Amino acid sequence: MSWRAVARKDFRDARRSRALWALSLLFVVLSVLVAVAFATVDLIGGADPSPTDLVTLLAGAVGTFVSLAAVVTCYRTLAGERESGSVKILMALPHSRGDAVLGKLVGRTAVLAVPVLGGLLAGVAVGSALLGAVAVGPTVALLAAALAFTLAYVSIVVGLSATTGTTTRAAALAVGFFVVIELFWDVFVLALVYAASGFTVPTGGLPDWTFLLNQVPPTSSFVTTVSLFVGESPSTAGAAPVYVTPWVGVVVLAAWIVLPALLGYARFSAADL
Amino acid sequence: MAAIHLDGLVKQFGDVRALDGVDLSVRDGEIFGFLGPNGAGKSTTIDVLLDFVRPTSGTATVLDMDAQAESTAIRARTGVLPEGYHLYDRLTGRQHVEFVRESKDLDVDPVAALERVGVADAVDRRAGGYSTGMKQRLMLGMALVGDPDVLILDEPSSGLDPAGVRDVREVVRDEAGDGTTVFFSSHILSQVEAVCDRVGILRGGRVVAVDTVAGLRDAVGTDATLRVTVEGDPDRVEAGVDAVREVAGVTSVGRAGADVVVRVEDRGKIEALHALEDAGLAIRDFETQEASLEELFLAYAEGDG
Repeated sequence: MSWRAVARKDFRDARRSRALWALSLLFVVLSVLVAVAFATVDLIGGADPSPTDLVTLLAGAVGTFVSLAAVVTCYRTLAGERESGSVKILMALPHSRGDAVLGKLVGRTAVLAVPVLGGLLAGVAVGSALLGAVAVGPTVALLAAALAFTLAYVSIVVGLSATTGTTTRAAALAVGFFVVIELFWDVFVLALVYAASGFTVPTGGLPDWTFLLNQVPPTSSFVTTVSLFVGESPSTAGAAPVYVTPWVGVVVLAAWIVLPALLGYARFSAADL
Repeated sequence: MAAIHLDGLVKQFGDVRALDGVDLSVRDGEIFGFLGPNGAGKSTTIDVLLDFVRPTSGTATVLDMDAQAESTAIRARTGVLPEGYHLYDRLTGRQHVEFVRESKDLDVDPVAALERVGVADAVDRRAGGYSTGMKQRLMLGMALVGDPDVLILDEPSSGLDPAGVRDVREVVRDEAGDGTTVFFSSHILSQVEAVCDRVGILRGGRVVAVDTVAGLRDAVGTDATLRVTVEGDPDRVEAGVDAVREVAGVTSVGRAGADVVVRVEDRGKIEALHALEDAGLAIRDFETQEASLEELFLAYAEGDG
C-alpha cells in the first residue's frame, strides 16, 4: 500500500509546477469563455441553446486541455527521476516498482483533476446561470468521464515516461503519441478509406467501420463516452451495425487507462535504475 | 549472523563487467568500510543491495533476506545515503522527511530528525535552494529516520566540509553504538579508518582484501617496501621478478622503471636481494621504506603493476 505515500509526495511536488498553473488558469478562462459564448451567441443555428449541448461543448474543450496538460506535466514523471537521480531517494524507500508507477499515476491524476473539475464546474456554473437552466445528469456524467479521461491520459504519458531513463526520449514519446494519435489519426483513417475504396474518393459518406477506428484517439473515445450520457447517438449511413455504439468509446477509454500503465510498469520493473 | 552477504556477484553492463565475482560478508552490528577507487564497482554493489540493479549472476542478502525477492522488506529496515542522488527541488526539508515517514510508516518529528544533522533551521525551505553540504546533511537525516537496522552510506563525505565529515563520523558511531550495521563506502581511506571495525577493498569489480583496521596496521608495521635498482637484460629481470615472488614473506613484486619494487616482511628482505642476484642481475642500489596505511590501500586499490 505504499503507493499512497508516493502519490502524496508526487501531488505535493507536481502541484508546484508553474506550467501546470499557467495551463490551468488558461483552461478555467477558456471554459468560462466557451460557456459565455455558447449562452449569448447563436452557435448552433436557430435552435435554443440547451445546457446539455453546453456539456458536449465543454467536453471538447477539456479533451484538448487534458491531453496537452498531461504531456507537459507528466512526461518527466519517471524518466526525470531517473535522469536526475531522485529515483534513488524514491526507490531507497520501501516501495516496489509497482508502487512507484501506481503512486505516480494517482498523484499526477489528482494534480490534474483539480483544474479539470474546477474549470468544468466554472464553465457549467456560468453557462447555466446565463441560460437559466442546469443539466444536472449530463454535468455529473461529464465530470465523471473527465476524471476517467484524465486518468487515461496520465496513464499514457506516465506509462511512456516509465519506459525510458532520459527525459528527451520521454518527451519525444509523449509528443509523438499526441501528434500521431490525436492530430494525424483522422488523416490515417481517411487514407485507409481511400485505399479500401480502390484508391478512389468514396461516395455516400464514410463506411461504418471507420467509427471503430475513430474511437482510437483518447479524446475521441472520451467525447463518445460523454455522448452516451447526453443522449446523442453516432450518425451512420443507413442501418447501424451492432458495433456502432458509444459503449465502444467507454471500452477504448478503459483500455487507455489500463494498458499504458501496465506497459510502463513492465518496462520500469525490468530496468536497472 | 551476516547483516550483508554477497556471493559471487557479477554485473555486466554491455561490454563492461562492473562486478566480477564479489564475495563479502558484513557482520551484524559492525561498521564496515567499503573502499576502492572510483569505478571499482562500489556503487554498483550498493545498487544491487537495494535492487536498483539486478545482478547478472550471484546472490546478495541483507538481514538474511534476498536482495531481489525481498527488497521492499530490506529497504523498510535500511537507511540509505545514495551516491548521485537528487533531492526534490520543489519540496522542503520537512516534506522530504515526511515522505520518508509515510513511506516507512513511522512516527517521527521532522524538526528533530533534521536537528540531528544540523539543518533544522532550513526545515521549511525548499531543498532546491540548499547548499551541497546541506543537501548531504538532509539526505543523511532522512537515512537515519526510524533508527534503521542497516545504514548504507555511499561516499557520505562528498560535498561536506571538515566539520561535516566529523559529524558524519559521530552519527556513524552513535548508530553503531545501538546495534545498527553500517556499510560505509569511500575512496578515501582516512575517512573510514577512524570509524570502521573492518574494511574491504574493492578493485576492478573484485574484493581484493578484507581485514580489520588493526590488521592493516599490523601489516604496515611488518611490511616494508624494498626498491632495488638492477642491471641486466629484460629476460633476466623478468626471471628475477619471478624468483622474488617465490621468496617467503614477499607479498607483491612490481616494476617501476628500472627498479624492482618488492613489498616484503622484514625477514624476507635479504633473501629477496639474493634471489635477484641468483637470477643473474647486478644490484646497483637499493633502499627500504616503511609503508603507510595510505600506501597500502593504494597498493591494493591500484595494483602492483
